[in-house]
Amino acid sequence: MRPSDPMSRKLRVSGIFVITGLFVEALCLVWSKPIAFVVLVCIGGALIGLGVLFFLYSLVFAAPHPTDPYRAAPDKF
Amino acid sequence: MPTFAIVILVLFSAVLAGIVVVRPAITASRAGKILAFGVLFFLPLFSLVAGMQNEMQRSESTAFCLSCHIMEPYGKSLHIDDPSYLAASHYQNHRVPADETCYTCHTDYAMFGTFEAKLGGLRHLYIYYLGKPPLPQDIKLYKPFNNRECLHCHLGARSFEQGATHNADPATLPAIKANTLSCISSGCHDVVHNVGRWGDKVKFWEGGR
Repeated sequence: MRPSDPMSRKLRVSGIFVITGLFVEALCLVWSKPIAFVVLVCIGGALIGLGVLFFLYSLVFAAPHPTDPYRAAPDKF
Repeated sequence: MPTFAIVILVLFSAVLAGIVVVRPAITASRAGKILAFGVLFFLPLFSLVAGMQNEMQRSESTAFCLSCHIMEPYGKSLHIDDPSYLAASHYQNHRVPADETCYTCHTDYAMFGTFEAKLGGLRHLYIYYLGKPPLPQDIKLYKPFNNRECLHCHLGARSFEQGATHNADPATLPAIKANTLSCISSGCHDVVHNVGRWGDKVKFWEGGR
């Protein structure tokens, strides 16, 4: 898999969302103010959720591998 | 799970996700695909749920409630050295858990009590940051205090069931249990926090800090 592949790009985007969300979560956990919970859910949760959803999206719409036995066979007729 | 363990888990997940971001080529192998699924699906969601649960638990602590500047006098009222102050006597004698004092009395012991308390907390946040917060002495309960919250612990207790004042009139005890006569009504246990009405002679208990 080359870094310029569409799948690689999607994984990177997904990973960046997840990492940003995780850092927001880590900050909220050490920040003992009532607003931390709201920031954790609204910003951290949203970023992590976006990253996870984008990862799932990239799996569903990934191009089949050339050696994949289940990919659609060409029409013989 | 303790907070530091969740923070370590979160940072560990972020580092693993970083490996996938820097080297997406590793996901070409079967092990790489499993790693990608773990660090971009399972671990972030697990960390998020663990973090939210931790925050929910922390929101029940006395320190959490008193971290708002406006609540400082209410925290101070827990240390008043006078047994007639209801909140202080409950806190100082551990009739309620000292580390969850506010939550224990101000949560409805009903089906959605905890949920309603959390919604109330969000409303407090909105007023604190975006609205016009009242002065501490002007804070009022959203609805009258229900005896159910007191009876959750006191119902069946000898001091409550056989208390001289509670039995002086045969109608008193049934009225308390039916919530038609409030425990904190005038002349009974009506001195709760009394913020703004302490006067100069009030003393503070130095223990329990």
